[in-house]
Amino acid sequence: MAITAATLGRTELQGEPGWLSDRRRAALATYERLPMPSKTDEEWRRTDVSGFDVSAYSELEHREGLKLDAGRLPAGVILKPLREAASENRELVEPRLFSLIGSDRDRFNALHAAFFTGGTFLYVPDGVVIEEPILGRHLSHAGGNFVLPHTLIVAGRGARFHYLDEYIGDDSEESGYRSGSAEIYLGEGSEVGYVSVQKWGRNAWHFADQRAQLQKDSTLRLFDVTLGARFSKTRVEASLVGPGADAELKAIYLASGEQFFDFHTLQDHQVGNTRSDLLFKGALQDVARTVYAGLIKIEKGAARSDAYQANRNLVLSDHAKATSIPMLEIDNNDVRCTHGATVGPIDPQHMFYLRSRGIPEATARRMLVQGFFGDVLDRIPFEHARTLIEAELETRLG
Amino acid sequence: MATAPRVDVGSDYKEKYGFFVPEDYVFKAKRGLNPEIVKEISWMKKEPEWMLKMRLRSLEIFRKKPMPTWGADLSVIDFENIFYYLRASDKQSKTWEELPPDIKKTYDRLGVPEAERKFLAGVSAQYESEVVYHSLHEELSKKGVIFTDTDSALRDHPELFKEYFGTIIPPADNKFAALNTAVWSGGSFIYVPKGVRVDIPLQAYFRINAENMGQFERTLIICDEGSFVHYIEGCTAPIYTSDSLHSAVVEIIVKKNARCRYTTIQNWSTNVFNLVTKRAMVFGDATMEWVDGNLGSQITMKYPSVYLMEPGAKGDVLSVAFAGKGQHQDAGGKMIHVAPNTTSTITSKSISKNGGRTSYRGHIKIYPGANNCKSFVKCDALLLDDESRSDTYPYNDVDAENVTLGHEATVSKVSDEQLFYLMSRGIPRAEAETMIVNGFIEPFTKELPLEYAVELNRLIQLEMEGSVG
Repeated sequence: MAITAATLGRTELQGEPGWLSDRRRAALATYERLPMPSKTDEEWRRTDVSGFDVSAYSELEHREGLKLDAGRLPAGVILKPLREAASENRELVEPRLFSLIGSDRDRFNALHAAFFTGGTFLYVPDGVVIEEPILGRHLSHAGGNFVLPHTLIVAGRGARFHYLDEYIGDDSEESGYRSGSAEIYLGEGSEVGYVSVQKWGRNAWHFADQRAQLQKDSTLRLFDVTLGARFSKTRVEASLVGPGADAELKAIYLASGEQFFDFHTLQDHQVGNTRSDLLFKGALQDVARTVYAGLIKIEKGAARSDAYQANRNLVLSDHAKATSIPMLEIDNNDVRCTHGATVGPIDPQHMFYLRSRGIPEATARRMLVQGFFGDVLDRIPFEHARTLIEAELETRLG
Repeated sequence: MATAPRVDVGSDYKEKYGFFVPEDYVFKAKRGLNPEIVKEISWMKKEPEWMLKMRLRSLEIFRKKPMPTWGADLSVIDFENIFYYLRASDKQSKTWEELPPDIKKTYDRLGVPEAERKFLAGVSAQYESEVVYHSLHEELSKKGVIFTDTDSALRDHPELFKEYFGTIIPPADNKFAALNTAVWSGGSFIYVPKGVRVDIPLQAYFRINAENMGQFERTLIICDEGSFVHYIEGCTAPIYTSDSLHSAVVEIIVKKNARCRYTTIQNWSTNVFNLVTKRAMVFGDATMEWVDGNLGSQITMKYPSVYLMEPGAKGDVLSVAFAGKGQHQDAGGKMIHVAPNTTSTITSKSISKNGGRTSYRGHIKIYPGANNCKSFVKCDALLLDDESRSDTYPYNDVDAENVTLGHEATVSKVSDEQLFYLMSRGIPRAEAETMIVNGFIEPFTKELPLEYAVELNRLIQLEMEGSVG
């Protein structure tokens, strides 16, 4: 059964305002118009989606599937399911929803815009500081359907807070269609810590677009963890639109079995005196494959920009495969841009050192992988997320 | 206090390099590209049947292949408005004295005779589409080295030629390789027998000297087991008004334990489209080194590549690009690891100024089974003003086990500290900048024979003139 307007009608989300239904229909039309990405598109050359049949997952698992957890929130803060916010806070949601990630970049992006379900809307007014992290947990319990959460975060001037999106599925569940997109607006001087942990079941197809827009003097600390799904494609993008903006984009991934992970990143320095720092670190086991392609773009007038981009891959098995494509497009000379990429196995000298101390090979290996991730784990913006991620790695590295 | 000596290269550039000699061609083909022209070229050269067939087949491939959509904008090339074959004089001259005076005048300005007097082993100087002047040192012949133009090689060494021609870069490889195979003319052919080391670099100067005329030279180098050769191609071209196309193909075979170095200083005038395919196949424990400098042309798309076919093979690309006003240097390198225990490095240095654009584009591919390979890529870019642009597009595909791959790149401007240091020593700003730029590309210049290094430093000086105020 194909996905059509009827599918949208059947899964019609009750109580949604007309403007949102119109947008969903428009996105569906875009989806129908766009071709399936092919191997001739640069972005999809190494990413095979031919095995993905959307129509197999045309049922919606649940309307919400979201658990929000936060301490006492200061006055003025809005935290609620996006669906509710769409009618109750239309003036805040309508101009921002999908204006960062778009709804026509490719088929999956359009599909997400047409069918997104659940997801959070968080609005933190000017000057408000929230100490406790806000936690959004997106759950899936069965396969054969779709779960497409969307997070919309708006930080007012000088606002400060942390937010965690956790995507949770069961490894034993059948394949399904998943996404986990986020749009983050950082107002002047705001500081936002955003963490997403993707641990859908191992059979899922996951497509996510995360994009932040940083106004003057704002700071973003984004941390992405990819562990789940059979196929995962994540775009992580930051637009620095005000001087003094500072984006830190960090990620770790651990791919095992037959998992395939694809990451596309963009550090878009639209104005000068901005800084971005990206580090993606991954370990690969078994026959897993990963693709990293990142771009630093310095626009013409963006003088005194400072950008760093690195992708490090630790290949633990003889049959795993990592591809790394770090790219630069620099249109201004008064900048500092550096990037690097490495793909390699465990350093035999390190292994020898540990083994010569009587540490069994499996333990030594685990220690080296943990050490590899160590420096980036230090950059997790808040304690709660760090504990969660470290525990998760511990279990998975066994 | 001593100040740096002023080298005034720019003032006489026009008469030194900006010359052109009136055209006087024995044969001039019609503009455009069709089977008749290809047949005519082949007939003029009295080629064997198989070459004519290959040319015609390549023309078909050229027509079928789409224009590349990546890289530089090539849509302005009008293939119908190009001369595909020209010959300046009917027969090859054996000695310098026999050369027609016009051509001699051109070479005088390029300094060829002087270079020859010094230590050139053989000069295969290409004027227009065919080699017209060619001398071969006796010693080389005694050793069994063949150094000739590609047309003569087809005539004089048909078996050797047929065995290798088009095997490294088949016509169907890409659109411009197909074009070259269809209309190729001139170029160098080198064969170095087993165990022979050629101690002096073999050089060929070639130039474009007719409006709307393409150069489609074809070079084939075969290094037999345990041999060594260093080939240098350098070029300066007169300045013309309408676009010119240069599309060469260079094929190199480096057999077991041999080593080949291929040095290029490309300084076409800034209306030339320079679309070149260069590739070497390297066998057991052999080494291929590409030393590639791109200073001229309007658009260059060139990615010298090395196919590492057997264990122990080593590939090296050292690339320098300089892009001034209106120029786009899209250069880089490719390392294809087919066999295990192979190593490769790519070092790229690029400089952009006055709105010029340099792009590094590279590909490291490590095939399944090519285990224990090492590859390292380093790209540095220098932007001299805020109108210029620099891009880096490295593609890394690893399909094998226990592979170590690294990529590093930096983009920056001339550092204020370095500039301050030099200027505080009384060196004028412009000179200081030139010194810094020359220092930046030093890893490249130090790999060149002395007179080329000097020439390159002068060219940089020339390019830098007036770039800072």
